[in-house]
Amino acid sequence: MKKVIVLLLLAAFGYYLAATFFYIDFGISHFTNGVRDYYLAHTVNGLSVANTVTSIVVSFRGFDTLGEVTVLFLAASALGSILYKRRHKYEERVVLFPSSRIVQAGSKLLFPAIILLGVYVFIHGHLSPGGGFQGGTIIATGFLLMLLAYQDYHVSHNILSIVESMAGILFVTFGLLGFIGGGTFLENFLPVGELGDLFSGGVVPIIYILVGFKVGAELTGVIYTVLNEKDI
Amino acid sequence: MVGSPVLFIAIPLLAAFIIPLLGMIWKESVRILPGLVLVYLLTLSINLLGYVLDNGPIIEIIAGWTPPWGINLVFSAFSGFLVTLMLFLGLLVWIYSYRFKRNVDFEPAKKYFILLMMLITGSVGIVLTGDIFNQFVFIEIVGISAYALTAFYTGRDSAEASFKYLIMGSLSAGFLLLAIVILYSQLGTLNMADIARNIHTVKPVYKITALIFFIVGLGIEAEMFPLNGWAPDVYSQAPGPVGAAFAGIVVKSGVYAIIRIVYTIFDIEGAFDFLVIIGLITLLFAETAAIKQIRMKRMLAYSSIGQMGLVLVAFGIGTEAGVFAALFLMFNHAIIKSLLFYAGSYLVFNSKEKYINDVSGLGKSMPITSFLFALGAFAIVGLPPFAGFWSKLYFLIAAADSGMIMIIALILIVSIVEIVYYFRVVNKIYFSKKEAHVVPQRPTFNALFSMIVLGLIVIIIGFFPDLITGILHDASRDLMDKTDYINNVLSITH
Repeated sequence: MKKVIVLLLLAAFGYYLAATFFYIDFGISHFTNGVRDYYLAHTVNGLSVANTVTSIVVSFRGFDTLGEVTVLFLAASALGSILYKRRHKYEERVVLFPSSRIVQAGSKLLFPAIILLGVYVFIHGHLSPGGGFQGGTIIATGFLLMLLAYQDYHVSHNILSIVESMAGILFVTFGLLGFIGGGTFLENFLPVGELGDLFSGGVVPIIYILVGFKVGAELTGVIYTVLNEKDI
Repeated sequence: MVGSPVLFIAIPLLAAFIIPLLGMIWKESVRILPGLVLVYLLTLSINLLGYVLDNGPIIEIIAGWTPPWGINLVFSAFSGFLVTLMLFLGLLVWIYSYRFKRNVDFEPAKKYFILLMMLITGSVGIVLTGDIFNQFVFIEIVGISAYALTAFYTGRDSAEASFKYLIMGSLSAGFLLLAIVILYSQLGTLNMADIARNIHTVKPVYKITALIFFIVGLGIEAEMFPLNGWAPDVYSQAPGPVGAAFAGIVVKSGVYAIIRIVYTIFDIEGAFDFLVIIGLITLLFAETAAIKQIRMKRMLAYSSIGQMGLVLVAFGIGTEAGVFAALFLMFNHAIIKSLLFYAGSYLVFNSKEKYINDVSGLGKSMPITSFLFALGAFAIVGLPPFAGFWSKLYFLIAAADSGMIMIIALILIVSIVEIVYYFRVVNKIYFSKKEAHVVPQRPTFNALFSMIVLGLIVIIIGFFPDLITGILHDASRDLMDKTDYINNVLSITH
């Protein structure tokens, strides 16, 4: 009986949600005074950034990005503190099926390529699709591959911690430099350069590269913590 | 001007990223640095609040984009008052827990202080921001820190409480995001002032759906009935100071967000009546549940929910007097409930099941803690001459001015219930025979310091309410003046 009521309530809610969202014209331009046109115009003219998504993420709404980076940092910290008592020593990690030679050799070959792709994606975040979050995630998958292939592969927690802390500190520092140089937090204080050049967009690519380092280090840390979790 | 509101976010974030590095060199720094940051921010916010009361609100834009294109922070009398209150309580939580975690390993202790600092920063950010999506990001920051701090003892029960909170919190985040999507799809902007200016052009169906989703999403954070199922578990399982931080800081930011949405962003009159009704239900439900509790912290948790219901009723009155009373109630609840959590968790410190019965006869062996608990209990039920009396009095006056006689009667009946369960505990502490198996626990110097500061505030505000009413009047006037808010934010130039 209880289940039926729950199902009915869920169905009613689902219908309401669907009926509301069905009539919103997503993707059709009907904003009379929204932020869209301003963003499109100022990405190219004001910031010399070729990728509008990047300019929104890093400049117009850079404060949100700082917040999201912090959320990730906190999630990684929280995981570390909760799983602290269940952490293995490095040698003790047990794998049910050790990887075969082919997987190991292939991983070794792929690893540098994956890292290179990740680095490329976050360095060119302001020019092409992608950016810090995506590049960082790609790098973390590279480490995941190595951790899965080699039972004794280990990453230094201290180095990961230093990389993520330094990236975070530099992010906030660039924000504060903008505060000193331009008058508001995270404001661009460097020359914006030529549209389409690698060195363009002022602080936008620098911040996105820092985000890439931070996300890469944090996700690697999360994967490593979870892989080293002890079974009880 | 002495500083900028953006420092309230930037400095703690910088510190949170520095702590892991500094901790490698000097272990004690992970405890000291958050305290230094909180002291600095508290002085900054007191200075800014003084400036704001004389010169009007400070609007801080970020990344050089003026509203509605960029994100902005608003430090006005209303938000400034709450920020100062939160940072003050945060500082006390830090002082209280400075030695509390001595027996814990370095690694979890480091994480504890980072998470605690980010819990406070996130709450401050929710109050300061002038952008609904930015508010969502800060709610995420508060949420993640809160889940982790709840599970800090890594026991079975605390994991369960944390998981419950996680599920509820994620659900609320989903609702919030849907509400933001609806508003953005209709107006093409995320800035609160810009939305408030144009909200009358939105079709009622979208407006009401968005409002419902906002209230559901934020109601979980603000302990609103029936979305508060997480609260008793979380309060009873989290470490003592963290419970005080939830009651004093996190819940306040949730209530602030609801109030900002109802008062400033939406122009729906019915929302005020809704606040009154839902507040009353929350109050009745929580106080009847509180009287049945046999465990100390669960009782305090239900009492905290009830107080939040009262605050929602006061905001729902919708007049300036109502807002004034609500802010006074919030202030008192933050101070007194923190005191009760600190003193209460020491009273049941060595009791295994944390039963209320275990405090029997502790009045002689723990005189100061017992006295402070009794002080808090008298103050929260509204006995003169303590701080809680004035806020309840102003609340009843505000309700009477608006002709809500039924509500007054209900509130007075509920107050009697409150008196019953608080006095039962005080009675046990002083007039019952001591339970043999409970060993009294001496509070640490830091804990004693925090409790005595709070106790002094309760007494001082009780005798001299004028110390706080001036600023509360400014804050409530600031919240009521919606056009002023919109004009201030949208007229800012870089």
